[in-house]
Amino acid sequence: TGGHTTEILRLLSCLSESYSPRHYIFANSDKMSEAKIRSFEQKRAETFPNPQFTLDSIPRSREVRQSWTSSVVTTLYSMLYSLHLTCKRKPDLILCNGPGTCVPVCISALLLGLLGMKRAIIVYVESICRVETLSLSGKILYYFSDYFIVQWPDLKEKYPKSVYLGRIV
Amino acid sequence: FRYKDSLAEDLGRADLVISHAGAGSCLETLEKGKPLVVVINEKLMNNHQLELAKQLHRDGHVFCCNCSTLAETLQSMDLSTLKPFAPGQPEKFALFLDKVVGFQ
Repeated sequence: TGGHTTEILRLLSCLSESYSPRHYIFANSDKMSEAKIRSFEQKRAETFPNPQFTLDSIPRSREVRQSWTSSVVTTLYSMLYSLHLTCKRKPDLILCNGPGTCVPVCISALLLGLLGMKRAIIVYVESICRVETLSLSGKILYYFSDYFIVQWPDLKEKYPKSVYLGRIV
Repeated sequence: FRYKDSLAEDLGRADLVISHAGAGSCLETLEKGKPLVVVINEKLMNNHQLELAKQLHRDGHVFCCNCSTLAETLQSMDLSTLKPFAPGQPEKFALFLDKVVGFQ
């Protein structure tokens, strides 16, 4: 969504051609991200022609103010959908930065790893907006990611297993 | 106006920006090198949204005030005391990731 997309595209801006093919995943309620991604890839094609990338949308686990009982159903559906998509794409590396969308994808990747099907490296970059506290996705993935990157020193102190590189977006 | 796809043009022409504490607004303004006054409405905002505005203020990049102190802030502020905001460095992330993945 919005700010997350802008940040992640900035993170991708300096990556070499070796990071290919790129599989973008966003929530199906997010109309603007697809346009931003296409625009980014178009620009990138000026330097690195013949880009290889895909775009997939997944259902959100939960909408704002959704009832608890229907949330269980939608979260389960979201999880199964993510599992199917992750199986299909079989990523070597997962890069995410915090929207709720990333949690089912990372859990799927972990499951695939546990089942011996594909072990992806999970790299999580907490948003630049998070100076003193982690987002909910961050709190969960701090324990399940391979590398957890924070952008402010306060968070590095509070979460010692994290990586601090300064501001990177 | 209500919403625009991009404020880049307006930001480019501005001499001073007065904004709410949204991260996108703050960062976009600072990256364009424009002086920024952030107006905070504690009642409306989630705690976490204030984190960035407070840090930017602590680091001397923006002025902060609330609705009632805005006029006073505008009158008494000294823009020359604002510290320039260095852009983020995605190159550092690329270097780190290359090591992690094994492209060196």
